[in-house]
Amino acid sequence: MGWIFIAVFILLFFWMIFIYNQLVALRNEVKNAWKQIDVQLKRRHDLIPNLVSVVKGYMEFERDTLERVTTARARAISAGGIREKAVAENLLTYALSRLSAVIENYPVLKSNENVMQLQEELTSTENRIAFSRQLYNDLVANLATKIEVFPNNIIASLFTFQKAEYFSAEESDKALPLADIGIRSK
Amino acid sequence: MPLTFIDIEKQKTWRIGIFFLILLFMYFCVTLALVQGILLFIFPFHFIKTGSFLLLERPLYLLVIFGFSLIIAAMHFWFSTSNAVKSVMDNLGALAPDPDDGIHRRLMNIMDEIHVVTGTTRKMQCMVIPTLSMNALAVADLNGNSAIAITEGLLSRLTRSQTEAVLAHEAYHIISGDCMEATVATSLFGMYAAMIEKLQDFGDEDRRGIYPAFLIFWFLLKLSQMLNMFISREREYRADAASVRMTRDPLSMAEALHLISRNWRGSGLIASGLEMLCIINPQEIELDESEGFWANLMSTHPPIQKRIEILLKMVHVSGKDLEKKRELESEDPLINAIFKNRLNQTGKEFSAFRCPSCKQSLFEIPYEKTKVYQCHYCGGTLIENTKIPRIIVRREKKCTERIKSLAKAVTIDNQRKLSLKKLKGTAMDNRHLTACPKCQNPMLRTFYSLAYLIEIDRCSICNITWFDPDELEMLQCLIENKMTAKFDM
Repeated sequence: MGWIFIAVFILLFFWMIFIYNQLVALRNEVKNAWKQIDVQLKRRHDLIPNLVSVVKGYMEFERDTLERVTTARARAISAGGIREKAVAENLLTYALSRLSAVIENYPVLKSNENVMQLQEELTSTENRIAFSRQLYNDLVANLATKIEVFPNNIIASLFTFQKAEYFSAEESDKALPLADIGIRSK
Repeated sequence: MPLTFIDIEKQKTWRIGIFFLILLFMYFCVTLALVQGILLFIFPFHFIKTGSFLLLERPLYLLVIFGFSLIIAAMHFWFSTSNAVKSVMDNLGALAPDPDDGIHRRLMNIMDEIHVVTGTTRKMQCMVIPTLSMNALAVADLNGNSAIAITEGLLSRLTRSQTEAVLAHEAYHIISGDCMEATVATSLFGMYAAMIEKLQDFGDEDRRGIYPAFLIFWFLLKLSQMLNMFISREREYRADAASVRMTRDPLSMAEALHLISRNWRGSGLIASGLEMLCIINPQEIELDESEGFWANLMSTHPPIQKRIEILLKMVHVSGKDLEKKRELESEDPLINAIFKNRLNQTGKEFSAFRCPSCKQSLFEIPYEKTKVYQCHYCGGTLIENTKIPRIIVRREKKCTERIKSLAKAVTIDNQRKLSLKKLKGTAMDNRHLTACPKCQNPMLRTFYSLAYLIEIDRCSICNITWFDPDELEMLQCLIENKMTAKFDM
């Protein structure tokens, strides 16, 4: 009789280890995905000064569009915490989409090889940000499911695994309904 | 279904093990037969005396032979699979994208985006095949190298989001390990396929003796091909779905598939062993477009129409809308760089005919005060036979210096060809005959006349003539300047 108890206990123990390791692996994946978003955001921040300096000479009448991009960038760089960052980055996305819409209206700029190249880089960066965010959110959802599912939730609460925060900014999205237009097309 | 691609990557690709076992078995059989044959040859008397010197009865010998064939098989496996990506790419003539080229740079960017969206740490190369055909394929080998190759024709004609969808599709093949199997199979057995094809060529002559020895190779080759085909069909659906999951853009994927299926997919250019790696089968086979048990078993690709339908259902669009959109899209000058100039002539009317070489709609355009049908991609022209004399006598279109020199060169070349044909009695050139745009029957390839040696394709059923690019202008120029062919025979 005792043997059975010991066997069940050992089995339970290994099962716990298995679940625990799984959760740890997932948590690290989420962390890594978050770092990847950071990398892409950094890329965007580095790209903006280039774009602004190239475009500046041609756009005498659109000073405030450019200014808005620059200030949004500064705000995004200094932002900390997931929620604040999301809001700031969304603002920057909006400002940039305004800028590309303006560029579309300037035939001189559209025929400029340099500007078009930068615009392509910008489109690519926007895509990368969207994609890394997508991956991050998928992983967060994955982790949340793993933590909440029945037997796992006991272990999760035992070792205080916490759900990660989604990278979304509903408030700012509502405020700026046009946030994504123009950048992902073409 | 796993939520992220990180999970898929972890799955084992057990089928590669099967390939190795097949290979091992092949070598074992061959070595056994060889050793047995040599022994019989060396010790014929011993064999006759004892009546048995069969290796099958001696486990020790069998073990030695097994070890030997294991080493050989491992070496073969290693050599043919370790650098498969490079050899396949060399075979296709694929090049790394040119960073100075705008569209190639876009491709490199998109490739980086794909890396981001899959979250994979594995480096996937991207390559460009310099051809006008439209296709894309993925290759991976055991060294961990992998590459996605896309043809110049496809790359230039797709929009950004369509390219993204195609690359995502191919990337899924790499990540899921699908294309590792296919690549390994191709590089392992492709050699034998070539060998067998050669032997079959010799078959009619005196070398029939070797043939039975290769029967086992042939059988195993067919078996592995079938194994591959059986798997392949399902995985195209899966890769389409994965592409949508990555890019969240089913419409672009559907558009890309639609576009590829309507154009030259590179048949003849992409070797038959590689077809299972492509996004759409380069050969247009009836089997691919049908369903049912046999088609499911043998075909490498599912029906394109069904793939498109599944994708379109996700965005609630019907196939008709897509057709309309595509026709409009080919008017968009931004689509591509190569065909930009020809696409710029907007506002023309589409006709019911399609270009026999490009499969694009022909446009009805005015030419010498009458109407002809022209293809905007290649510049070939379709004319009713009754209109040809009119066009030839009218002199509105001046003959340029370029056409003149071209016409001269072509006439001389054709003259030589004609003489050879007369001498040998057979046609020198065996290009494919063009199919009539109207009735789809093969057209008759002939010279306009023996005095004016310009090759034309004529359909005697519909009474229409197809001129390849520049041929009409050349003919006009020849007749206008009375440049007849001279015969020295």
